[in-house]
Amino acid sequence: MIDVSHISKRFGTMTALDDVSLAVPRGSVLGLLGHNGAGKTTLVSILATLTRPSSGRARVAGLDVTGRAEEVRRLIGLTGQYASVDETLPGRANLILLARLLGATRAEAAGRADELLELFDLTGAGRRNARNYSGGMRRRLDLAASLVGRPEVIFLDEPTTGLDPVARRGLWEIVERLVKDGTTVLLTTQYLEEADTLADSITVLAEGRVIASGTAAELKERVGRRSVSVTLRRAEDRARTVEALRRAALVPAHDEDGLVLTVPVADSTDIAVVVRAVDEAGTDMAGLAFSEPTLDDVYLALNHPTAAHHATAAATAATTGHPTEAGTSS
Amino acid sequence: MSITADHPRSPANAGTTTGSGAAPPRFRGSSALRQIQVLSGRSLRALREPALVLPGILEPILMLTVFSQVFRSVSQTQSFPAGVSYIDYLLPAFLITSAVSAGLKSGVALTTELNNGIVARFKSMPIHTGTILIGRSIADTVLNAVNMVVMLVAGALVFGYGPAGGVLGSLGALLVAVVLGWSLGWVFMALSAWLRKPEAMQPVGGMVNMVLLFASNAFVPTDGLPSWLRAFAEVNPMSHAITAARDLALGDPDAGTVLATFGICAVVVAVIAPLAIRNFRRAS
Repeated sequence: MIDVSHISKRFGTMTALDDVSLAVPRGSVLGLLGHNGAGKTTLVSILATLTRPSSGRARVAGLDVTGRAEEVRRLIGLTGQYASVDETLPGRANLILLARLLGATRAEAAGRADELLELFDLTGAGRRNARNYSGGMRRRLDLAASLVGRPEVIFLDEPTTGLDPVARRGLWEIVERLVKDGTTVLLTTQYLEEADTLADSITVLAEGRVIASGTAAELKERVGRRSVSVTLRRAEDRARTVEALRRAALVPAHDEDGLVLTVPVADSTDIAVVVRAVDEAGTDMAGLAFSEPTLDDVYLALNHPTAAHHATAAATAATTGHPTEAGTSS
Repeated sequence: MSITADHPRSPANAGTTTGSGAAPPRFRGSSALRQIQVLSGRSLRALREPALVLPGILEPILMLTVFSQVFRSVSQTQSFPAGVSYIDYLLPAFLITSAVSAGLKSGVALTTELNNGIVARFKSMPIHTGTILIGRSIADTVLNAVNMVVMLVAGALVFGYGPAGGVLGSLGALLVAVVLGWSLGWVFMALSAWLRKPEAMQPVGGMVNMVLLFASNAFVPTDGLPSWLRAFAEVNPMSHAITAARDLALGDPDAGTVLATFGICAVVVAVIAPLAIRNFRRAS
C-alpha cells in the first residue's frame, strides 16, 4: 500500500533522508521509530505530498506521490502537530468543514462530525472552540479530523508525544480499531513501547538512514534490554546479593559505587525471581524498578553512533535506578 | 472514557451503517466551486463574532468624525471645489481608504493563516490551494462592502452626507471602492505569502498603506500640495480611484476614469493572483 524506494531528501547541505526504502502492506501498521531529527517527519511529509523528495520514488496505493499527488490526497489522512485544526472554530465545525470540502452534503457532514465526536469522546466539547481543548482532546480532534473522509491510508506523526499515559492508551485503542477495519497505518514514534504495541513491523531511522527493520519481536530479540534494577541500602550487601542472583540463573551487573544492580530479564514475571533472590540474601533494598528497553537501548544494541549522543541520559537513569522514559512499571 | 476495546462501532463505519452491510460513503473530494463556497463561508464566520467585526466598522466612523471636524477648514480654501460640502468630498475618499485597509487586512489574515494548522491539513487534502485564497478574497470583499454600507448610512444620518449624485452615485462610488479593495487584497495576499510572517507583514503593509493614502487626493486636493508630493499624488493609482469614486458620488462621473480604475484592478488581479497562489503553495 505504501512503497518507498531509495528516497533521499536534502535541504541545502543538510541531508534529512538518505536512501530510505520501506514497504507497508495493505491493512498493516508500520512503526517508524527514531529520535527527533531522525527524518521521520520529513518522510511523512513526502508521503503526504507536502514535500518533494530530492531523489528516489514513493508510491501510495500504487500512485506516485509527486506525479499523482492530487489522487494520493484523496486516499490519505494526516495527523501531526503541524497538520491540525482551525483553533478559532469549534471542534464540530472543524469536522463539518473538512467533510464539506471532501464532498459530503450538509447532512452527511453533520452526521459524520457527530459520529466522530462520539467515537473520540468529544461530544460534550463539540461546540467549544478548539483552542480551549486540553492536549489529549486536541490530539483526539486532530485524529478525528484526519479520518473524516474515511481514508485508506493514515499517517500518524508522533500521535502521542506529550500525552499522559491514559490519553496515550486511549489513542492506541482507536488506532487498533482503525487497523481492524483494514486501514493501512504509518506511525512515527520515539517510544519503542508504542511501536511494539501497535506496529506489525518496525523501521528504525537514525540521521536519515534506515538502521534496522523487522517485526517488533525481531527487534526486541536484538535489543533484549528489559531489566530490573535493584538499589541497595548498603554497599557491603552487594557480594551476597550478586551471589544469590547468580544462583537464580541471572546475570547482574553493578554501577561504580556498587549500590545499583542491573539485572537483565526476559519479562516482568522475572521481577518475582529477583525479589526472592534478594530476600534470600537477606539484603536491605532501597528501591526496585523494571525497565522496558527504550529507543536508546535500540540504538545501543544496533551499535549506532546516535547512541553515544544519547547514552549520557540513559546512563544517568541507570545509575540512579530510575527507569528511562518509555515503559515504567514496578 | 467511552473509548473501550469492546466498543461496538469502529472509526471507519461508525454510525452510518446500521447492520445493512453496505459500505459507508468515503468522501473523496469536491468541486472547486464547492471548495470556494465552503472556504469563504469559513472566513465569513468572523461576522458572528462582534469582537472581530466592530473595530472594522468603528474605525472608519471614528476617522470620519476626526477628519470631518479637523479638516473642515480645507473646504474654505481656494483650490477646493465650489459648492461642495467637506463631508461630501471626504466620504467617497473614505470608502477608498477603507478599501485599502480591508486589502491590508486580507494580507495580514493570510500570514496568520499560514501558521494555522488547518492550512497544512488542507494541503494534504484534495483541495486546490487557490481556492483557499479565493475564499478569503470573497469573504473579505463581502465584509468590506458591508463596512462601506454602514459608513455611508452613518455619514448620511450623522454627518449630513448628501452629495449631488444621489443614492445611485454613492452606490457607484461604493462599487469602485469594493473592486479596488478586492484588487488590493490580492496584492497584499501576494505580499504576505512572500513575507510569510505576520510581524513582517504588518509594518510593510502599514507603510504601503500610508504612502498610498496620504500622498493622494484623499483628504485634500492635490493642488494644495508641494510640487514633489503633488507629482506623486497625481500618478498614485489611489488618486484615480478616489477621483472616480468622488465624481460618481458628486454626480459628475467620468466614464473613462471609472472604467480605467476597473481595468487596472482587473489586470492587477490577473497578474498578482497566480503569483500569490504559487507563493502560498510553497510557504509552509
